[in-house]
Amino acid sequence: MSRPDEIAAPTPAAAAPVGVAASRRLRSFPETLAIWLVLVVLLVVAGALSEAFLRPVYLGNIIRQAAPIGIAAVGVTFVMILGGVDLSIGATISLGAVLCAAAMNGDPANIAPAVALACLAAGAIGALNGILIAVTGVSPFILTLGTAITLYGVTQLVTGGTAHGIIAPGFREVFNVRIGGILPTLGLAFLVVAAAGATVQHVTTFGRRLYLIGSNPAAARLAGLPVRRTVILAYTLSGLLGGLGGIALLARSGVSGSLAASGYEFDVLAAVVLGGTTFEGGRGGIGGTVAGVLILFVAFNLVNVIGLNYHAQLVVKGAVIIVASAIYRRLRDAGSS
Amino acid sequence: MALLETAGLSKSFGGVPVLAGLDFAAAAGEVHALVGANGAGKSTFLNIVSGSIAPTAGSIRLGGEVVRFANPQQAQRAGVSIVHQEFALAPLLDVATNIFLGREPRNRLGLVDRARMRRDAAALLARHGFRLDPGALVAGLSVAEQQLVEIARALSFEARVLILDEPTAALSPPEQQRLFAVIDRLKAAGVAILYVSHRLDEVFRIADRVTILRNGVRVDTRPTAGLDHAGLVRLMLGETAGPTASVARCAAAGPVRLAATYRAGEATSEIVLRAGEIVGLAGFVGAGRTHLARALAGHARPHEIEMMVDGVPVAPRSPAAAMRQGLVYLTEDRKRDGLFVPLGVLVNTTAGALDRVARLGVISRAAERRLGGGMLARLRLAAPGLGAPIDHLSGGNQQKAVFARALLAEPKVLICDEPTRGVDVGAKAQIHDLLLALAEGGLAVLVVSSEFGELLALADRILVMRDRAVIRTFRRGEVDEEMLFRAASGDPAVCAGRP
Repeated sequence: MSRPDEIAAPTPAAAAPVGVAASRRLRSFPETLAIWLVLVVLLVVAGALSEAFLRPVYLGNIIRQAAPIGIAAVGVTFVMILGGVDLSIGATISLGAVLCAAAMNGDPANIAPAVALACLAAGAIGALNGILIAVTGVSPFILTLGTAITLYGVTQLVTGGTAHGIIAPGFREVFNVRIGGILPTLGLAFLVVAAAGATVQHVTTFGRRLYLIGSNPAAARLAGLPVRRTVILAYTLSGLLGGLGGIALLARSGVSGSLAASGYEFDVLAAVVLGGTTFEGGRGGIGGTVAGVLILFVAFNLVNVIGLNYHAQLVVKGAVIIVASAIYRRLRDAGSS
Repeated sequence: MALLETAGLSKSFGGVPVLAGLDFAAAAGEVHALVGANGAGKSTFLNIVSGSIAPTAGSIRLGGEVVRFANPQQAQRAGVSIVHQEFALAPLLDVATNIFLGREPRNRLGLVDRARMRRDAAALLARHGFRLDPGALVAGLSVAEQQLVEIARALSFEARVLILDEPTAALSPPEQQRLFAVIDRLKAAGVAILYVSHRLDEVFRIADRVTILRNGVRVDTRPTAGLDHAGLVRLMLGETAGPTASVARCAAAGPVRLAATYRAGEATSEIVLRAGEIVGLAGFVGAGRTHLARALAGHARPHEIEMMVDGVPVAPRSPAAAMRQGLVYLTEDRKRDGLFVPLGVLVNTTAGALDRVARLGVISRAAERRLGGGMLARLRLAAPGLGAPIDHLSGGNQQKAVFARALLAEPKVLICDEPTRGVDVGAKAQIHDLLLALAEGGLAVLVVSSEFGELLALADRILVMRDRAVIRTFRRGEVDEEMLFRAASGDPAVCAGRP
């Protein structure tokens, strides 16, 4: 039987368009494109309401402002493609900030060890999440909720509930230099982390396995995939990037309140879900998450500019999670029918 | 006089008739067996009589009156209840609540009257001689006890007709005997029992009459007393072509690839697969074929199986570990644990072989296309492109992708569970050719199939399973469909010669 559409032995010419199609599907391209369109529309609306949104420096500021959440959201995206969730991300960001500040203690010589310590501790917490989930099979939702509560408690106990440590001179300055007078280094750090995350997602076996396991865990096990190893690595990265998010928070705000990032888990989840990575797993990606983070922060700034307060931001956040989830669900149902 | 009667009952799905003009009658106090090969129309008939689907034509009479059921609830209220092979119980609720689920007795405040529910349940269970505590949690019951809950629930509708669909599939032999005692009592109480089972020895044990279906048509209804096992199988299968013309193939079986000892309950089975050989695993629902197949591929509980691959003892504890030993399993249920939806064909194919196309964890797309695309081309996959979502392909092409994934694992032993299920005729022939070619190339192949014809066409040897044990082994050429059917359905004349 020979049909015209049968796959022939791959020749470079024939294989090229097919390869493009394969990666497009993996990124669920139309959804990712849609979210960037939303960002553009939002910016146009914002620009119409306030000319501030037309100034590159202000936009650079928004990216800087988004850095802690954005960096952490990259790791959480990995976990959610896998079909998991990391509710301990807010607590991990807090811990990263507090540890880094305490270890730095005002001495520029301590900057490097302080950053290393924060990363190590946060990565260890992520690894612990991953190991417990992979080995015990406890629901990631419950397990990371438990981790979150425990971590907030530990952070409070260690700090005694007050801000500790002093930022070393030069630490904040490095991150707040504006490249070309527009984009602060901290904003650049976010974009670099996102680019690295997107690369990992696209080209590595780890990235591919996230999608495979997320789309069908039973099939992944049957196909002999290293499911446990992948789960542990994903949560470790989530923890590590949470720690980096904490350091970014410290660089942005300069203070390390012991609950510095409490509630940030909601911002992170809102951004990831908005970006098209669903709680069901197997779809979405870093590209969408970056757009989701930026939309969220443009919206926050817009709320401020209009003159509404912080509490209105909460309403925006909640609405974003609900509306985005509903829309993606519909898109998905439409796509599968 | 007949209690349940159908006249000219017909059903077509999309213009294809699956039941054609069925006349059927069952009397009160009768155990009436319904038998037929796969696709004979048994399930369709049961679903119509129990109200799940509407007939295209024909009528049903219950106690002389014409009835028409819009849904299973109406059938239950009229006195026709079915106990499916798959139970529909709420495990975390107690027995009484499960029996009266959805129609709990209420007190004056409109709240559930739990005391009365317990009393009613206890009375019902006592009346039928079921030894069950109405307050016991269903999750803590054995499979046989859960089945009694299902039967009690069915009877609580004052059932006059009770349909049992493969009721013994999940029961141990002593539990089967207890079920037969229950059936005898119900029969004495005047209930008409429709008994559907592949186990023909049971049919002879408990049924008064048997109706034989073949291709949607009733072949005959006969008292079981005047029939023997072989005669019944012949009625079910019709004129068979005798030993299937086997594919001409020099079955030069090589050295033993896999030798396994499989234990389930009391029984022990020996399975030997040689290089270059296709071995079939035959049996009916509940015989334990899939369980055995999966046990060979790293799903076994400790002490369930002992294996040697190429003479070396192995004890894989996961599918990944089994694959490292060269034991690769192809699922019978692609949707459940075969396909990665909605990812693309190529991504599905190379899922388990990424390390072969990656360096330092970085995938080479070109190498991936060469490896996966090459294998898919070899299997003659038809798809709009390698990136096409796997769920957009036909069943046959989905199966080819799953096959390609298995072959990329470089198996020594390929265990295929229902390799042609949900696959069109063309793809089926291609998959058969592929299996033959793989065996030719030195692979040991185990094929699990419900289609005896498929096994007869492919296999050098056929193992017949029943009650989780291999009860008989046949060689190519010494067995036909009828003989296989008799062995799998428990004909003592055939099964006496143990493997």
